[in-house]
Amino acid sequence: MKAEHLKHLYWRAGFGVTPSILERYKNATISQVVSDLFKASETTEPLKIDLSEFKGFKTLSFKENPKLIKELAQKSRKRLMDFNIAWVNRLNTSDAVLRERMTLFWANHFVCGEKNVVYAQQYNNMLREYALGNFRDFVKAMSKEAAMIKYLNLRQNVKAQPNENFARELMELFTLGPGHYTEKDIKESARAFTGYFNTLDGTFRFRRFQHDYGQKIFLGKSGNFNGDDIIDVILEHRQCAKFICEKVYRYFVNEIIDKNHVESMVEVFFEDYDISRLMRYVFTQDWFYDEKNIGNKIKSPIDYLVGLSRTVPFSLKNEKGVIKLQKLLGQTLLDPPNVAGWKGHKAWIDANTIMVRLKLPSVLLNGGLIALDDEKDEMRLQFFKKNKSKLPVKAIANWDKFQKEYKKISNEDLDSVLINGPINKGTLGYLKTMKKDAKQKYCIQLMSLPEYQMC
Amino acid sequence: MERRDFLRNSALASSLFFVPNFVRAFEDFEAKSIGYKRLVIIQLSGGNDGLNTIIPYNNDLYYNARPTLGIKNDVIKLNDELALHPSLKPLQHLYDSGELSIINNVGYPNPVRSHFRSMDIWQSGSSSDEYLQSGWLGRFLDKHGKHPYNAIELDETLSLALKGKTFNGIATNDYRALYKTARDPYFQNVLNYYNDQHLSEHNLGYLYKNMIDAKSSANYIYETTKVKLSQEDYPQNKFGKQLKSTAQFINSGLDTKVFYNALDGFDTHANQQNQQKRLLSIYAEALSSFVKDLKRNGTFEDTLILTFSEFGRRVRQNAANGTDHGSANNVFVVGKNLKTAGVYNQLSSLSDLDDNGDLKFTVDFRQIYATIIENWLETSTDGIISSPQKTLNFI
Repeated sequence: MKAEHLKHLYWRAGFGVTPSILERYKNATISQVVSDLFKASETTEPLKIDLSEFKGFKTLSFKENPKLIKELAQKSRKRLMDFNIAWVNRLNTSDAVLRERMTLFWANHFVCGEKNVVYAQQYNNMLREYALGNFRDFVKAMSKEAAMIKYLNLRQNVKAQPNENFARELMELFTLGPGHYTEKDIKESARAFTGYFNTLDGTFRFRRFQHDYGQKIFLGKSGNFNGDDIIDVILEHRQCAKFICEKVYRYFVNEIIDKNHVESMVEVFFEDYDISRLMRYVFTQDWFYDEKNIGNKIKSPIDYLVGLSRTVPFSLKNEKGVIKLQKLLGQTLLDPPNVAGWKGHKAWIDANTIMVRLKLPSVLLNGGLIALDDEKDEMRLQFFKKNKSKLPVKAIANWDKFQKEYKKISNEDLDSVLINGPINKGTLGYLKTMKKDAKQKYCIQLMSLPEYQMC
Repeated sequence: MERRDFLRNSALASSLFFVPNFVRAFEDFEAKSIGYKRLVIIQLSGGNDGLNTIIPYNNDLYYNARPTLGIKNDVIKLNDELALHPSLKPLQHLYDSGELSIINNVGYPNPVRSHFRSMDIWQSGSSSDEYLQSGWLGRFLDKHGKHPYNAIELDETLSLALKGKTFNGIATNDYRALYKTARDPYFQNVLNYYNDQHLSEHNLGYLYKNMIDAKSSANYIYETTKVKLSQEDYPQNKFGKQLKSTAQFINSGLDTKVFYNALDGFDTHANQQNQQKRLLSIYAEALSSFVKDLKRNGTFEDTLILTFSEFGRRVRQNAANGTDHGSANNVFVVGKNLKTAGVYNQLSSLSDLDDNGDLKFTVDFRQIYATIIENWLETSTDGIISSPQKTLNFI
């Protein structure tokens, strides 16, 4: 496979490429590489932090001790930060890159904000488990998650007083998209989801006495539907497959839809809603590797941070700093802006976030200095050393790992590994003036370009 | 002083040097003037308890619903029904001089009691079943803004309110740091070399455009802001500093239409009394200094200050000496030539509450937005507020 194509595949299906991957697959076919990507993600390793302090509570213990709720909520907020850190670590180090990439994608599809860390962790692992599985099973499992039951008010959805929140988002955001159902369909399907509940520890419970067993008329069909039946009826509609394929296309291929490509994806996906089959199809199509699809996507803050860390690993002196970085860049995992998720693409970038992105590599990896290859570099270096304490985050970079990994890449060729897509001609002219006498220095210079924001 | 002038001039020269000609193409494309009237937003985050802010001190229903939280002593009476929380004493002179308008029962249909969602609704100007990805002020600046610095948020990250479909304001809690970052000589070199005639057509061009915007905005704010102007004493806290910076920007004549400030901590589920007392006095002291500062510099007349919170709180207090999330709430408008100063409208009935036991709204918050857009910012609400809203009569 061509290096350019490998880079593209690995950025979209994972979190970037390394010289060893480029070397390993230089003579392989696309289907071999894609097959290996899936193999590495075959099993699911749940992401778990120690949450034993939340075990063993009964509803009664809260009634006896109302203060306990507040205490647990506080603890939960702290652990949620730990879980965020653990997730970022997982993204930085996992070999199952495709599964982690898909998990991230679905986390911004089945969007759920949850402050209870036990539910949040369970939800996150549900996403990971089904990320490459069957979409039908996925939607059903999602609807029965404690976090979702709480987030979209399924708990308040009872026979006597149906709450439409979940039913509405199920169709608008999760399966069909706006305009393919009526307000009546929302009301009817909300009735089908009545009785959904979970126990304190996050286990799904169906409350029979709160469920409406009556007949519902939904999307032109009638029956004594329950929640799972409603999902089955939705999935009978080709529009559902189309809605998901369009979203996959915008995320993995190009934010501008090509109708023919999407149509061919729907053809595949509508057959059995198998997510793996769909993704394998996308990654092996010629059009996936069209020039216009390469390096045209703006990295999300997480893509950016994880890609950086996978090139030059760094550790922060205060590990909570990684949450600060996400906040500054505009995407804090587990804290989506609303049920519609992050908008992505150009919306990641404003005057503030672009400056943070451009400056961050030098701050994290080089004490703030971006060398200019002139006689004043030494002076600047001394300046940044003296002002070290003023940097917003303190990091230690593992340059040894970078040097080892990039040993066989010549300094001149570094941009061909680190940068995706074309470099602006003028900027290319500037790069030509650089000395490139030290790989580490040139790496920082490249990472401090707008081009580095693309994948 | 001289040294600072020198720095400013030399930096200005170099900034002119670095901005390539093609940038002009961008700066011109929406050239409509944005005028000189300014809007300052103050967001009380967490859901301020409006009933203990503007107190119905003659209403038994209020004291019955709040046996321990109801405020009896030291209230500042406004009329026969309503009084200010004692902490709002510094704002009394604004009320007396007709520079404060209190709008009661502001909310929206089908109120949402989640902080995040309700804040989204207020910031985006949406209805409760609508998810907008842009803010109401962002959409205003889509039409009338030219530079990111036309809207400044005094914080690290930019709120939805200041994000348009194409326009984004600038967020900075330290404009000097932003300036220093943007001035990194490496970025200057990159932009000196960079060339592209079709800057906005592709994503990479969009990144360069934002880089140029950031640099010129950071330069502009730094160069235009005069440090010495503020002689007013502000309270020594984060919010006081925010308003002090805002006044500095305004008094320096920055071409900024909207300033966004926030004070957090109003989510008083337990032991509300002291917490709200402290927060309201931070708010009132800083706001009072801010208004004095603007008056001293002759900029108050062209400034309108809007204070809101994402929701009010439940009428009945809870078992923990606090209050839970409610719905309708009061909004404050501070300005020089208000049409209707004082108490704009009557407080909703405390006996006729909604199913949750919350105040019923009588004024849609988008009516306030529409009024500000039409009567203060003097433009049409088309494309900014999606549903038709009857304007009010406070300005």
